[in-house]
Amino acid sequence: MSLVTSDARKPVRGPELMRLLLTNEFGLLLLIVVFGALFYSVSSGFLSSFNLNSMSRAAAINVMIGFSMMAVIATGGLSLAVGAIGVCSAMVCGWLLQEIGLPWPYALVAAIATGAALGAINGMIEVKTRLHSFIVTLATMSLFFGIMIFLTQAQTYRGIPASFVSFGRMKVMGLSATLGPTLVVAVALIVLYNFTRVGKEMLAAGAKPQAAMLSGVRVGRMIVLAHAISGGLAAIAALLLVARNGAAIPSMAGQQGQDWLLIAFLGPVLGGAVLTGGKISVVGAFLGAVLVTVLSNGLLLMQIGDFWLQATLGATLLLAVLLDLARRKFLERRAQ
Amino acid sequence: MARLISQSDWATPMIVAVSLGVLISLFNPAFLSTFNIQVLLEAVSINVLIALSQMVIIAIGQMNLSVGALGGLAAVIFAGLMEVFGLPPIVAGALALGVGLAGGFLNGLLIGLTGISAFVITLATLSIFKGLNLAITQAQPFYEIPDAVKHFGNATLFGPFPIIFVPAALIVVLLVVFFNRLPVGRWLLAVGGNAHSAELSGISTAKTVVIAHAISGFLAACAGVLLVARLQLGQPTIGDDWLIMSFAAPIIGGAILAGGHVSTVATVFGVLIVAQITQALVLFHIDPFFVQVVLGLMILAAVSVNQWRELRMQRAGQE
Amino acid sequence: MSKIAFETRSVSKFFPGVKALQGVSMQMRGGSIHALLGENGAGKSTLIKLITGVYRPDEGQLFAGAEPVNFTRPHDAIAAGVGVVHQERNLIPRFSVAENMALSQLADRTIAPIDYAALNEQAEPWLDMLGLDVEPATQVSRLSVAQMQMVEIAKALSQQTRVLLLDEPTASLTPMESKALFDVLHRLRDDGVSMLFVSHKLEEVKEICDTVSVLRDGVNAGENIAMDNLERQDLIRLMIGREQNDAKPRHGRSGEQSVALELKDVSTSLGHKGINLEVKRHEIVGLYGLVGAGRTELAKAIMGAAAITEGEVLRDGQTVEIDNPTDALHGHRIGYVSENRKDEGLILEHSVLENAGITIWRKSANRLGWLTGASVKKRTVPFLEKLAVKTPSLNQTVGNLSGGNQQKIAMAKWLAAGVKVLIVDEPTVGIDVKSKAYLHELLHELANDGTAVLLITSDLPEMISLADRILVMDEFVIKGDVKNTGDYKTMSQSVMEHIHHTEDELRRAKAS
Repeated sequence: MSLVTSDARKPVRGPELMRLLLTNEFGLLLLIVVFGALFYSVSSGFLSSFNLNSMSRAAAINVMIGFSMMAVIATGGLSLAVGAIGVCSAMVCGWLLQEIGLPWPYALVAAIATGAALGAINGMIEVKTRLHSFIVTLATMSLFFGIMIFLTQAQTYRGIPASFVSFGRMKVMGLSATLGPTLVVAVALIVLYNFTRVGKEMLAAGAKPQAAMLSGVRVGRMIVLAHAISGGLAAIAALLLVARNGAAIPSMAGQQGQDWLLIAFLGPVLGGAVLTGGKISVVGAFLGAVLVTVLSNGLLLMQIGDFWLQATLGATLLLAVLLDLARRKFLERRAQ
Repeated sequence: MARLISQSDWATPMIVAVSLGVLISLFNPAFLSTFNIQVLLEAVSINVLIALSQMVIIAIGQMNLSVGALGGLAAVIFAGLMEVFGLPPIVAGALALGVGLAGGFLNGLLIGLTGISAFVITLATLSIFKGLNLAITQAQPFYEIPDAVKHFGNATLFGPFPIIFVPAALIVVLLVVFFNRLPVGRWLLAVGGNAHSAELSGISTAKTVVIAHAISGFLAACAGVLLVARLQLGQPTIGDDWLIMSFAAPIIGGAILAGGHVSTVATVFGVLIVAQITQALVLFHIDPFFVQVVLGLMILAAVSVNQWRELRMQRAGQE
Repeated sequence: MSKIAFETRSVSKFFPGVKALQGVSMQMRGGSIHALLGENGAGKSTLIKLITGVYRPDEGQLFAGAEPVNFTRPHDAIAAGVGVVHQERNLIPRFSVAENMALSQLADRTIAPIDYAALNEQAEPWLDMLGLDVEPATQVSRLSVAQMQMVEIAKALSQQTRVLLLDEPTASLTPMESKALFDVLHRLRDDGVSMLFVSHKLEEVKEICDTVSVLRDGVNAGENIAMDNLERQDLIRLMIGREQNDAKPRHGRSGEQSVALELKDVSTSLGHKGINLEVKRHEIVGLYGLVGAGRTELAKAIMGAAAITEGEVLRDGQTVEIDNPTDALHGHRIGYVSENRKDEGLILEHSVLENAGITIWRKSANRLGWLTGASVKKRTVPFLEKLAVKTPSLNQTVGNLSGGNQQKIAMAKWLAAGVKVLIVDEPTVGIDVKSKAYLHELLHELANDGTAVLLITSDLPEMISLADRILVMDEFVIKGDVKNTGDYKTMSQSVMEHIHHTEDELRRAKAS
């Protein structure tokens, strides 16, 4: 009668492998390899130790920015404020280091806490007012960034301890050491969404709030938490940037942090996240951001020009969502 | 008459705008100086176009992140065509507006045909438009702006009224007619108000979405072209800071983000409110960065008030 | 007899795994009001969607008058003179009455300016005809629900509608407003309009309809029967069918048991007044009522999803305050199987294991919140197996399973959670016979094992075969408490009497 457990016991290796090859993640991996090979064949400098180092450093930051957005997408929302929160946290860190003279580990923790707190504010406004996260974060983006500029008078903090900066420049097996924190966070997120109650409840709340609520999930709390996680991750991304630049600069994410927006969405969306919530892939978002980094780096190396890069990335996002749509239409038709 | 005013959509923003003006001038009479009013009207003329560009999309219940990028692209194309190819301003301007229209049309087509969320599509096209802008300009401004254009952008018609106030006012009038009198304008509001019901009555949602985005692109391009004339410079950074402004004014004017309810006149007053506050901060020597904080707070306050009003209206309807 | 205005001839509609309609025939005549009756899930809404061009029939043919018609989209039905007034409002709230009525004209034009004075003039006669005292220029959002409905009827009529479908038109109207509506419908009938009237309020149906067709489980249970020959009881019999052979009454052993859940004079923010109710361990208490009686709403209030404004809730004799469903589940071990599987019962995009496990994540996690697949499986798989859920794997997306299997999973998650009080809301709507029998057996078993079950269902045979006692609810008030004797005839009569009673009272109140 019941087929529930029979399938699990039967070792069906062929289709399993097939399924793995058909996943979004494998597709991304393939694309990374293909583009990597392509760029290498055009310019051997692509795999030079210098380029590998700078590429891995960029990837570390891009992945983290993507994770920051993904945390909110999981609950069906979005955050325009990731950049602003990141910069605010970085400036808090810079201020604590330069003006207060706090030891850098404490300053880092304080910065991450700031990011999480700002994220939580977004979440609380969203839950209390029941406004869409778009408009809430549009307003707080302007608010957070404005307050930060007001308080810092738009000055750059350069008093970053050498030990922290050298971490940003350290190499481990040819790759930037900044990949370390990113990998740790990736593993933590995989654990969070697959092996913890809170992670699963966040996804359930995102997929169908009403159903989750009636099954005992505290939906409001999950939304606040998701925004807090997003804020914390945005802070980490900004700190990695501080380590790379050796300074906390108010303009490091562009006008009100908006320069992060595209990359923040590219990773999760390429990785197969559903924007209405409830479905994300940590590995997919990681690979998506890596793919974007490889593309950017390769195109720059091919001297396509800094300026065409942004257009290419925009086109990539467009292509990704269109392909995803086509894929889903195809699957639907096949299912009928 | 009094009742007509109190029931209209634009009464509240108008009262706020006027009392704000009175209040500021009480504290600082310089606010009413000819020069100050001219600066204010110049800012309003351009910001109105930016706000209306977003408002048209809010009308159908969507959002357009690419307003600034498209306006910026049109701006540098306008300036570039004049400097590099020596085209007469009229031709260059028409081509730039055409680019805005085409960019908006592309947005609408992608959203209307695929049904993918406007947020993602316009985020993608935002980068494409901005990338094209940077690729064209190499991040360097175009400096060679013909004197006629400079004059158009900075001269006044009479008293403090800048010439660029004329096209802006004309567009406002056209949009008022569009949304209140023309069937196609009503399509936008019908789709925003209840897409299902509009579709049942034979109004094509896809077509309506394309029209709305094309208009939005056109208006953004208008703002870009006028800004080039006013700045006397084809800046590649034009449009970078439009996003907040474009949402703030319609929302302060009472637009409902879910769609179906926008008011052109109220949006104009929304722009006026924002411009006056910005101006006042300058007059009172308050840090100009503070404008962002105020804008953010105003958006939050305005959406909350709008939502509360909408809920109250629904409840009143049920009773 | 007048001519046929619209006819469905042996139409069928199939959805994956479900036969929604099979060989349904119905004739609507000009100048008459035809009732369409059936319990939830009987196929009424599918039939309406066929007639209005939302769906296309898989078998059979539609006729408008004598002409066969094939609607490919709703617009075609409107063009053929078929109008519908839906339960959900289909007006643009910010537009005026006149503009809403003329919306399809506006769709055909683009830039020729609208002459609002002309639109108002156009609308006027229709509003007059319906006796609707509203300026055509009034914004629709300022109207009452009843007025909006009239506007929808006016809109339909102004589009040359000769066949008018009214889907639960009185659901949100006061008795006064309903009466005004009926006057209008009578007038339209005299003008030769053919109407289809869908309602759960049988008194109304008796009052204003000329003929009736009844659907039951997707097939005709009665076809074009003249209303004159029917009594209320006959309608009910047609709707819920004769006594089923498999309806064995329960022999509960609840007499001596303690009360697990008790409500004392409870009023809620949703409109319940003075609800008294108790469910003992080992007992299945039925909560019967027609659609809209307030049963689901009461369940949600008990779960803490809506506020209780007066009275008290007792759980195992202790007064408790339940603020939210988390509290209900984890604090007081109360569960609720929703009638709305798609939006409230399950997360269709998630896997079988995620859905079955959602109620026990909290319990299965260790102190750090760590949760393994194995620990969740250990707690859910036994119940999935017990319910014979058929799925290729635990990772299968629930949305791809049949309705019966989905419902079993929606049930399994509460069994896994080990709740002591289970509220089950319409557990067998839209699922196959076999799954239905399974679920019935399961509820028996649950009660026998000591769970207190509150069963909400509109399916009377189901109620009689499962419940120990039946509470009858109407208009958010409990009207009576009937001991289940297991005899279908006497039970249906006494249950009906309690609802009947209500409406007699109402009528008396209205008369005085």
